[in-house]
Order: sequence, then structure tokens, then C-alpha cells
Amino acid sequence: MTTVPVHPVPFLGPRELSRDTDGREVDPSLGLLQGEGAAQRVRTPEPHPGHLAPTRLDAAARTPTYYGLPVLQEPVWIWTVPAYLFVGGLAGAASALGAASLIAGGPALERLEIRCRVLGLVGDVLGSGLLIADLGRPGRFFNMLRVFRPTSPMSVGSWILALSGAANGAGVLLGRRRGVLGAAGRVGTAAGGGLGALLAGYTGVLLANTAVPLWQAARRELPVLFVGSGMASAGAVLELFPDSGASRKLTHWYGSIGKVVALGAMVAMERSAPRAPRVTEPLRSGATGALWRAGLALTAAGLFASGLGNGTRRRERIAAALTLAGALATRLAVVHAGKRSARDPRATFEGQRAGMGAAELSRAPVPKPAAFKLPVVR
Amino acid sequence: MTAAKGFFTDTSLCIGCKACEVACKQWNQLPADGLHFSGNSYDNTGHLGASTWRHVAFVEQTLPAALGAENDSSVGMRWLMESDVCKHCQRAGCLEACPTGAIIRTEFDSVYVQPDVCNGCGYCVAACPFGVIDRRDDDGRAWKCTLCYDRLSDGMTPACAKSCPTESIQFGDVEELRVRAEGRLAQLEQRGVRGAQLYGQDARSQPGTGGLNAFFLLLDEPEVYNLPPDPVVPTVKGRESWTFAGLAAAGMFLTAVAGAVLARSRSIR
Repeated sequence: MTTVPVHPVPFLGPRELSRDTDGREVDPSLGLLQGEGAAQRVRTPEPHPGHLAPTRLDAAARTPTYYGLPVLQEPVWIWTVPAYLFVGGLAGAASALGAASLIAGGPALERLEIRCRVLGLVGDVLGSGLLIADLGRPGRFFNMLRVFRPTSPMSVGSWILALSGAANGAGVLLGRRRGVLGAAGRVGTAAGGGLGALLAGYTGVLLANTAVPLWQAARRELPVLFVGSGMASAGAVLELFPDSGASRKLTHWYGSIGKVVALGAMVAMERSAPRAPRVTEPLRSGATGALWRAGLALTAAGLFASGLGNGTRRRERIAAALTLAGALATRLAVVHAGKRSARDPRATFEGQRAGMGAAELSRAPVPKPAAFKLPVVR
Repeated sequence: MTAAKGFFTDTSLCIGCKACEVACKQWNQLPADGLHFSGNSYDNTGHLGASTWRHVAFVEQTLPAALGAENDSSVGMRWLMESDVCKHCQRAGCLEACPTGAIIRTEFDSVYVQPDVCNGCGYCVAACPFGVIDRRDDDGRAWKCTLCYDRLSDGMTPACAKSCPTESIQFGDVEELRVRAEGRLAQLEQRGVRGAQLYGQDARSQPGTGGLNAFFLLLDEPEVYNLPPDPVVPTVKGRESWTFAGLAAAGMFLTAVAGAVLARSRSIR
């Protein structure tokens, strides 16, 4: 007579259920883990869903919400993304200035052109690193170049960044050679300038092309803000290590125009949702509002301190530092204010009820996108 | 491609048993979300997420007289329950935002994330107008309802619909479900239920998404169930943003060139 082995069944109380298992309750020796979600990795079982604070405050308000819980998922991006927005804009604007100096500047601007080329390349490489650090699976970063998807600003931007890095790399490595290689380097610098301008601008679309109410409402202003802010910060980095003569004047001119454009876009962005003030609320109140005002004030101070040129080197450096701090604060403010507007269900509800959803598009239903065959790298 | 498949979730039949949540977790072998007390009625799940692909919402409502409290035995109060799920939009924000091609449209017209391709960039999370798809921190990839792609491939019904004891979750061809939903709405109106409405049943009613393959019959405004009243796929607004980005980039380049020309001729101060 054989005895059937008895497996002791451990008691699973609330503590054991929440801490010691992943909650799947599948014993791998007895059951197959082959479900669609079975491959989902669980390192820390059951993270506490922090947003589940009970609230009854909304009960009396006019627009109903579901216990005040967010309707959207908050963007999962970490600090490296606003840092990338800053670095990418700076690199792109520097590349554009370098290419312009090569094309139209002549020998007087040769030094500036080299400095811009190097700044552009360093920014492209650093920016790529920051973006890869944000990925949930950094080892799969190369999948970004697996397809080209025109509907995705992230895909378009990945290609712009990769090509810009390649073009600037060619410019730095080959720019001073003679003959065919030198010509290729100069073509690289010129192409890097065009791609750099797009690199600074697309990041605005990247944020705007989301469901986040604040970013979506500011879809016209964001690219302009990031382009202007990129020009300002590229000019500021070059002014931290001042050059002389024509290149110093050009840098100052370029940076000042950038600061004016950025300030204009910021003022416009605050007014981007007049019918639903809740959408732009994070720009006015709390820590994100303070950060936003700091960005405005520092950029304006940078513009004021640099004056009309003819300043001392010391004053130039102070102005440059103020401008860089302003650009960084602005990027942080935009990202965190967007996250806050995603957490606020009223920003979505009131915005869409005020006609900022599909209603502001044409009345006809959106057509399905034309099916396009995409090359897939395997 | 076979006929488009989807869900019609009739919330007027939902009894809040959460069998769909459990069946989804079990079939897909998803990890648990924890034993946390929210205090929000019977809803301790909160929202859809990376490892929560069905979520039952509970709303305890004080009935205004205008909504006909006399029809209800529990005077002056009513329960609203709704099993929420990925909508498998005709114009899917996540799919159009995915830069790796990990998110695809299947032969069942559903939207599917390929876990072996996803690199966890998180763009789909920000692009979904319903807050459905999410990235799991410790896994690093984005996850959402697959419309039980594995079961559909074998000719089976998705686990949630199979487990629903009241046919609140109905699975089938979207065309057929749409007809059924119109009929059910008419029936409810005939019985004197006020405020019932279909949500996202076709492109006409929800132009921003082109219609949902998983649509709903609601007994109150969408906000009450944490659904956006006028959702829109972000891509259609992105076009305008691209125009401004192009103009701004061109402006930047021209400013640089003009500056270089002026600097050369020494006319910048």
C-alpha cells in the first residue's frame, strides 16, 4: 500500500498574502505559468497604490468625480526626462548656430562653429543617455529604431536624435579634414544644424501629443517655448566661456532672441485654456506654480542682466547662469505641472466639458489612419 | 481579419460581484494588487493598471427626486456599479504613440501589447485618454487588457465575460453588440429609467476615438464612473503642434543664419 504524500498547506493570512507572495497563488510545481500576464516581473510584491486616499470632499462640488481619484495615469517619466528636454534643446540650438556659422559666417566665426559642433555632439550623446535611463527596460533601447512611426513623436524624435548625433559626430570628426572627407564633415555639420532645430522643437510635440490636459492645451506654445529656451541656454553655455569679437556678439544676439521668444511663449501658455482655468491651475499654485514663476523670473533676469551687450565678462557670466537656471526650472515646471494636471480628474472633466476634447476638432469623426506598411527590423 | 470583437458592458445589470476582476487575474496569472482598504464604498481596487485589467467601480448615490426615487425599493439611494476595462479604441492613443511597434492591432481588431518588444518608454501611459495602460515599476514594461488574445485564438470567450453571472459583460462581434445595446437602451427608456446612455458605441457618439470596441451602457454621466466625457486620441491634435514645431525650428535656423550674416558684416552691436 502506497502512501499519498501530504503537502502541508501554509496558512495565508493578510500579512502573508501581501508580503510573502506575488499574489498569483500558482504553485509552479503544480500549475503552468503561461498566462498573458505570467511574465510580468514582480520584485517588490504589491506596491501600495498611493493614490487611494479616501476622500469625500468632492461630494458637494458641481462636477462629479469618482472619489476624486485620477482619471488618467500619471506620466511615469523620472527626472531624466525634463533633464533631457533641457539638454536636447541646448544641443539642438547649438547645432543650428554651428551650422549657420559654417554656412554664412566665414573665418571670423570658425571658432564658434567648432565650439557649437562639439556642444551639439556632447548634448546628443548625453541626451540619449538620459532617455535610455528613463526606459523601463534600458537594455531594449535599440527597439526605438525598430520602426519609424509618424504618428508617434517619440518615434520621430528618436530618429531625429540618432541622425543628429551621427551628423554632428561626422562634423566633429571630419570637419577639419581636407578633400572628400572634409566635405562630408561639413555636410554633417550643416545637416546636424537642421536636425538640431527639429530636435529642439519636437520635444514640445512630444509632451503636447498626450492626454495630459495641460500639455494638450498648450500644444501650440510648447514647441515655441522649447525652441526659444533652447536658443537661450545654448547662448548661455557659450557665454559662460566667453569668446571675443563677432562670435561673442552673435552668441549674445542669438541667446537674447531665444529668451524673448521663451518669455512670450510662457505668457501665452498661461492663457492657453481660458475656458477651463482648472487645466492651467498647476502653473499658478503650489510647488509647480512656484517653479514656473521661478523659470519666468530667472529667464527675465538673464535677459535684463545681459543687457544690450558691451557688459563686463563677469556680468555676462552671471546673466548666463541665470538664463540656464531659468531654462532648467521651466522644463521641470512644465513636466511636473503636467503630471499634476494628469492627477486632477477635474482638469480632464472640466476641460472636455468646456469644449477642449474632441469638440474643438471638426464635427466629422476622425478617420482611421491610413494603413501603412512599416519596415520592421528583426 | 475576422469580424471586430469587443465587449458591451451593460452597467444596469452589474451586481458588483467582481467575478470579472478575479477571473481576469486568474486566467492571465497577474500578480495581486495588495490588501488595501480605500474607504471608497466597496472599491478597494481603485483604477485600471498594469496588473489590473478589469476594475469594478462602486458609486453610492443619493437620488434626486427628478431621477425617480419611487422606482427604487431602497428609497432615495441607488447603487451604480460598472466593470471598467481597456476600450480597444478604433483610434488608440497608446498604439499610435508606441515608438517600438510593440503595440499592434490584432486580427480581432483589438489592441495588443507585445511584452517581448516593449522597452518601457512610458509614452503610451501618457497617451491613453482613459488612463488604462500603465507601466509596472518592477517589471519595467507597459501592460493592459489583451482582450484575452490567447483565449480568442482558441475560439473561447474572454475570461471576464465568461465569468460574469448577469451578462453585464457581453462579448461578441462589435456590430452585433451595438444593435443589442441600442435595443437595451430603448427597453430601459420604455421602463422609465432616466439618464441612461450609451458610451462610445460608435464614431458618431465619440468622434475623438472613432468609437470603442469595448463600449458601455451607463446610468449617469460618464464622470460619475471616472470616464472622460469627450475623450480624444492625442495624435489628431498633435498635427497642429507639429506645425508650430516646424515653424519654430525654421525660425531658429533662420535666426542663426541671419545672425551669422550680420556678424560677418559687423552690423550686430
